[in-house]
Amino acid sequence: MIIFDNVSFSYGKTQIIEKISFRVAPGEFVAIVGPNGAGKTTVSKLARGLLRPTSGTVTIDALNTRTTKASKIARTTGFLFQNPDRQICQNTVRDEIAFNLKIQGKSDDETTSRVEELISLFGFDPNASPFRLSRGERQRLALASALSAKPKILILDEPTTGLDYRECMKIMNLIKSENLAGTTVFMICHDMEIVSDFAERILVIADGRLIADGNPDTIFFNKEICAKAALLPPQIAELSQRLGGAYQGIRHVDNLFGAIRKNFKGEATL
Amino acid sequence: MKGFLQYIPGNSILHQLSPITKLALSVLLCACAFLSSSILYISFLLLLVLGLSAMSGIGRSALQIFSLLLKLSLILFLAQIFFIREGDVLVRLPLNLFITDEGLAFAILIALRLMLSALPLALIITVTPMSDLAGAMVQKLRIPYKYAFALTTAIRFIPIFSTEISEIIEAQRARGVNFDTKNIFKKIRLILPLCLPLLVSSIKKTEYIALSAEMRGFALRNRKSGYKSYAFKGRDLIALLAGVFIIAASLLINLP
Repeated sequence: MIIFDNVSFSYGKTQIIEKISFRVAPGEFVAIVGPNGAGKTTVSKLARGLLRPTSGTVTIDALNTRTTKASKIARTTGFLFQNPDRQICQNTVRDEIAFNLKIQGKSDDETTSRVEELISLFGFDPNASPFRLSRGERQRLALASALSAKPKILILDEPTTGLDYRECMKIMNLIKSENLAGTTVFMICHDMEIVSDFAERILVIADGRLIADGNPDTIFFNKEICAKAALLPPQIAELSQRLGGAYQGIRHVDNLFGAIRKNFKGEATL
Repeated sequence: MKGFLQYIPGNSILHQLSPITKLALSVLLCACAFLSSSILYISFLLLLVLGLSAMSGIGRSALQIFSLLLKLSLILFLAQIFFIREGDVLVRLPLNLFITDEGLAFAILIALRLMLSALPLALIITVTPMSDLAGAMVQKLRIPYKYAFALTTAIRFIPIFSTEISEIIEAQRARGVNFDTKNIFKKIRLILPLCLPLLVSSIKKTEYIALSAEMRGFALRNRKSGYKSYAFKGRDLIALLAGVFIIAASLLINLP
């Protein structure tokens, strides 16, 4: 569980986060959205314990980030940066995936078996140089590395930025399958289509404040919040609104088709 | 270390001086550091530089650079203090080590020299935009543009690398690497692998810069390509005269 209790954070005199409170329950898939400079990355770093709050308390998996070393939090929490190149520091894909396990003091047998499992799951060449992989492959490698220690919580800072649709879906499907297996996912994302497709809950941040917290249906239907946080709702939300506000549960295709049937008549109707 | 060795905009006298005057003043102060053997005089010049920096609104940056130089000077100080064995013994230490009065004085002098020679040069970067420094070197000193560009780009990369290494360390902390260890060998073993991502990102950055420079007609640039002129004004003359006075004083004043 991730708990933000009245958390504020500032760099010198610049206030970045102001009195944010929320809870993320185990197994949830939560997306943080908001305009550039809203403080989303700061929230993710605070959650991971890479930054310590100026005031308030951040608790992750029952560990207070103010008093717990970031290396200890790594045992239960995986973190994926927007730029995988800062994470990758080994000469082969195999060594890169094994790195997290080694620094956590896992046995050689455990490390080897987990590395082999991830290599086959992600379809990597274990002896390839990470630096020769494509951008999408490097991002998947960083994800494999973050998943190596079987974290209970996965924090992702814009995991799909700069990737094409196919790579994007590969990454998101892997993340979703981890979430279905019980991993809590806390993801920053700018792509509202992805947020709408994968997240169960959205936290909207603007100017360092939490301005909304709800499911995708509620958030994308609220024009005021979308305008405040400069969110461009996914096309399916637009379509739903034009069909008379039948967005509730729109991700269930039957509901959408039902709404279309109600609004259109004739042979061309689905 | 955010903002370390980066240009800080301002309207102070130091900001308004010609880049060439600032370079000349730095070289003069550097020369003073080696011409004078007076601890008092070099200390006075260091304080003068720090005072001028504070008046120019770059006091914080100057203190940052000063504290870094202080750490480097400390290494030099410790190396010197035990090597000089002439003079009266002040402190006896185990392993036949001792500190003499001459050794102490020389170690302080060497440490101060290092600080005075490096501080003004480092401060130029905080009061002069890199493009102006390169432009003035090409226009006034007739240095070929590609050498001026290489020099200023190398300086410009220092804060970029500093930020980059902080971000790499943060990424590795997120993976569970504990950099808080007090064991120096363990710390080196943890930091060494970070050289790889830094090296890869540096090479990539260099390639991007080379490409964008080519696209902007880098090869066609010559001395007349710059649109700015760096005129030598009255204040530059006064600053240079002050510099000459300081260097003359370092030769004439015989302080301890």
